[in-house]
Amino acid sequence: MSYQINRRDLIRIGAGAVLAAPAIFAAADAPKFFTPAEFTAVDELTELIIPSDDHSHGARAAQVAAYIDVRLAEAFEPKERDDWRNGLELVDRLSGKLHGVTFMEATPEQRIAVLTRMAKNEMKPKTPEEIFFRELKHATAHAYYTSKIGIHQEMEYKGNVMLEEFVGYEVK
Amino acid sequence: MSNELDLNKTYDAIVVGSGAGGGMAAHVLTSHGMQVLLLEAGKKLDINKELKSMEWPYDHPRRGDMPPDSHALSGREYTIRKPPYAQGSPYKHVYSYVEDGTGSDYAKDIVVDEKDHPYTGTQYAWVRARCLGGKTNIWGRLALRLSDYDFKAASRDGYGEDWPISYADISPYYDKVDLYLGISGHKENLPYLPDSLFQRAVRLNPAEVKLRESMAKMGRVVTPYRAGVTTDGVKHNKYRVHCYGRGACDRRVGGCDIHAAFDSPTGLIYPAMDTGNLTLRTNATVNEVTVDKDSGKASGVSFIDTDTGQTYAAKGRAVLLAASTLESARLMLLSKSSLYPNGIGNSSGHVGHNFCEHLMGPGVAGLDKELVGKPRTLDDGRPGSFYLPRFRNLTDRSSKFLRGYGFEGGSGTGMFPENAYSTPGFGAAYKKTVRDYAGAFIGMGGFGEVLPRYENYVELDPEVKDRWGVPVLRFHIKFGDNEKKMAADMADSAREMFEAAGIEVLSVSREILTEGYSIHELGTSRMGNDPKKSVVNQFQQSHDVPNLLVVDGSTHVSASCQNPTWTIMALCWRSCDHLAEELKKGNV
Repeated sequence: MSYQINRRDLIRIGAGAVLAAPAIFAAADAPKFFTPAEFTAVDELTELIIPSDDHSHGARAAQVAAYIDVRLAEAFEPKERDDWRNGLELVDRLSGKLHGVTFMEATPEQRIAVLTRMAKNEMKPKTPEEIFFRELKHATAHAYYTSKIGIHQEMEYKGNVMLEEFVGYEVK
Repeated sequence: MSNELDLNKTYDAIVVGSGAGGGMAAHVLTSHGMQVLLLEAGKKLDINKELKSMEWPYDHPRRGDMPPDSHALSGREYTIRKPPYAQGSPYKHVYSYVEDGTGSDYAKDIVVDEKDHPYTGTQYAWVRARCLGGKTNIWGRLALRLSDYDFKAASRDGYGEDWPISYADISPYYDKVDLYLGISGHKENLPYLPDSLFQRAVRLNPAEVKLRESMAKMGRVVTPYRAGVTTDGVKHNKYRVHCYGRGACDRRVGGCDIHAAFDSPTGLIYPAMDTGNLTLRTNATVNEVTVDKDSGKASGVSFIDTDTGQTYAAKGRAVLLAASTLESARLMLLSKSSLYPNGIGNSSGHVGHNFCEHLMGPGVAGLDKELVGKPRTLDDGRPGSFYLPRFRNLTDRSSKFLRGYGFEGGSGTGMFPENAYSTPGFGAAYKKTVRDYAGAFIGMGGFGEVLPRYENYVELDPEVKDRWGVPVLRFHIKFGDNEKKMAADMADSAREMFEAAGIEVLSVSREILTEGYSIHELGTSRMGNDPKKSVVNQFQQSHDVPNLLVVDGSTHVSASCQNPTWTIMALCWRSCDHLAEELKKGNV
């Protein structure tokens, strides 16, 4: 991991806050809705969608799976939870069809192949797997880009501060 | 501090509603030394605890979303169902579409629960706020003047009625509102969009500068958002500070917890209380304007305590309705008596009619390719982005439709990169694309003048009642042919302008949103010189009942395409000055 946070980031968000190790979180907090196996799969799926790269940490470090879990646990419509449980089953089934093993048993390359298949018709999803991919991606994007890592490190958002002068070009 | 309510006292004036109109009435009348009772149907919120403008999403348990038992109507629900929209909903609370977005948790106590406040009839997206200050707590802040292109539109194109005032009548009052509340903008010297007395303007992002320069070649204008926000401060007001560009304005439903953006409580009501002349009663839903049988004048109001359901009566020498366009009409229709069998002030039969508003929906989204991959800039640290004023039917006449439209737009990215949802794929490439493109988008949406029509009206529903047993409104409101043709032109011209500016067009929206969506409902008690065709005179006084005034958007004769809040307040100031004079002379 070659990513760095600069001094300004440290001042803004507090040193160390973004470096919380995901493994510690997972050990300390049992999932509220997902089974441990489901949680592991969601954690992997979300990290595949928004991975760590040279620029910033990804969905795993941003604890995206944990946030999705908390929201599903309290969701008003039971259907929301059912859709996720069924969706994760579909992922395993698709992995079985393509590679003969469950999603988490598959190799990293095989997992990407499963997700690639699910994402095939993203703009006009038809099959249940494709529809679940949309839901999975939407939830991942929402959780990631509203997280500390998403806002400060990935997007380097500079606002939500007190400015003496507006930013931009003055109209003459 | 507010004075203690005294129901035995006859107040100089009772003001119903505490939004832009009611707050302004309270300010002007108390400044004339009048004893004013201000009644607000909702509660007084500790607004700064509600808004928490600078709270980060990750510091909120649901990243700013409402609790799971609360539901916001989606845009689509308004089109596939009919009101009452909350009927049969399994959710504990149902809110209008403004709660369908980020930051909904910060506004849920400001807007009404649709379950308590049903309405019936045609499809209509009715957004209501019941709390001290009403919708001014979360308004969009665009503060524009009308001109004689609007006040005398009927003379120009032959449709409808002129206003009984001209720009010269109201211009000094726009000035007063500008100076008292503060407004940000840049002078453009446009006859059809008069300048205000502006404080420091917001700045434009690179793509907006490009659009401005290109539009100038077409004879059109892109100007910094004219925000009803004090950017230099208002020294006479201790409840407000100037804008610090924190940028929370658009990533929430709205609201400003330092009150740089105008809201009625800090801008108008608290200063009015400081005069010692104001009595405020919240949780007071007025359900009738009472009448003195001998004189035929309004004697006061009857109101229901929203917590206990108990009914009270208050007395006043004058009654001013500012409950919002549709609620004021409802209240007049509810105020039936032997003297006024069709509702108070309704001898013309025009109360509830001649509804008008702004149509929304058509617009364009584009990409400024030069900005892709550029280092991150701060794009949303300002209370608004840009406004593109009307250009149709000014010097030449469009053969297709009457009147005009303007665009509100913005560019760059806010805290949340919206393209994260629309960018296809996944993995490192997806992540980089979202990052590289987030600041390169620009978009704008139109606001078009909806013609007032007698046939577009509201009435009392003969059966359905709200939680307090008060008959609700039944809507008969539909866009017509002019609106459809205008919408098509809005979409076409939006595309054309982006293309002219060298902005790559990504999508053009042609669909008209449900009636009511703009939250700019107007008309229903229009002003005019002819008592047979209008409800109030140029000073917003009822033709039938001289001590009854309507000082909200109800009285607008036509909608123009400019946002109405500043005009509501300027008209109200003028009418209240007039009322104070008339009361002194004993004419009311």
